[in-house]
Amino acid sequence: MGGDVDHPPASDPVVAIYRVALPQVYGYLLPRCGSASLAEDLVSETFLAAVTASRQGSLTGVNVAWLVGVARHKLVDHWRRVEREQRSLAAAEPLVADVDDPWDEWLDTEAAYAALARLPIPQRAALALRYLDGLAVAAVAEHLGRSIPATETLLTRSRAALRRQYREEHPDDS
Amino acid sequence: MTADPLDTLRLPIVPVEPRSEFAETLLRRMQAVDQPERRATPTIRYFVRDLDAAVDFYRQLLGFEEELRPNPVFAMLYRGDLRLLLSVPGTYAGGHALPDGTLPSPGGWNRILLQVVDLDAAVEALRRAGVHFLDDRPSGVAVRQVLLEDPSGNPIELFEPATGYHERAR
Repeated sequence: MGGDVDHPPASDPVVAIYRVALPQVYGYLLPRCGSASLAEDLVSETFLAAVTASRQGSLTGVNVAWLVGVARHKLVDHWRRVEREQRSLAAAEPLVADVDDPWDEWLDTEAAYAALARLPIPQRAALALRYLDGLAVAAVAEHLGRSIPATETLLTRSRAALRRQYREEHPDDS
Repeated sequence: MTADPLDTLRLPIVPVEPRSEFAETLLRRMQAVDQPERRATPTIRYFVRDLDAAVDFYRQLLGFEEELRPNPVFAMLYRGDLRLLLSVPGTYAGGHALPDGTLPSPGGWNRILLQVVDLDAAVEALRRAGVHFLDDRPSGVAVRQVLLEDPSGNPIELFEPATGYHERAR
């Protein structure tokens, strides 16, 4: 046997594209997590779930885009977990008027990302999927397990909340 | 209709290499994910004369759980990861005769080994329950072991790890 022990043949399709897919999946998660350790945890969950599914022979068409989709699911699952842990706190948040508040000034995107990171999880999740990832409302609804009308309401409310957060940090902008 | 200003928040994927130690560790973890065939349940079949007596014996005295008993001549039991099939010799598949007509039968020398935490206590409890021991004097190398029979005469070895005991690391 002349096998190379350190590098066994990558018979698994997920292992086969690991080197190419890893920087893409990490590059997707890192700016959305805001923390390298959380991003690493979710990268691990993503690839281990993918390879487990693949070993069970249930996968066809493994590619980078599919893995990024798995990573998006893992990110939403993470938000859900955090939200469950924080539910008692979230319930105590003051109610705010859920009017859509049109943005007319040019947006400082870095400040908007910072404001986004401070929103409660359901709002942050909805806006991230809709705007950072560019998903359609129906796809956002599917990820969040909500109906489309409920998701539209959540998006409207979240935009208003982002607007307020952004203004608090940029009082001179408007 | 004006463009949505929030569309400028679109965050395209910029590839980022994670720490190399992280990347290598994750790859090793992925390669260690079991193939389904390597997770297959270890399974043993014993032939018994009286299925009810056998199921009661394994459940009540040796810690097995009944998983299935679809008919009077077959039962599937579990003890942890071990699956034990009990078949009554006869026409039913599993206990059926060989092509030359030979029927399987209980007994013989080959046996399952069941690990217990406290061999002396296990022997004492089984003796009180009237179990027949072929050899109840603990002996062995790197283990202490005894040999008993189920109601059909199938041997069962009980053992308790002792100095020098070895198992493959998981």
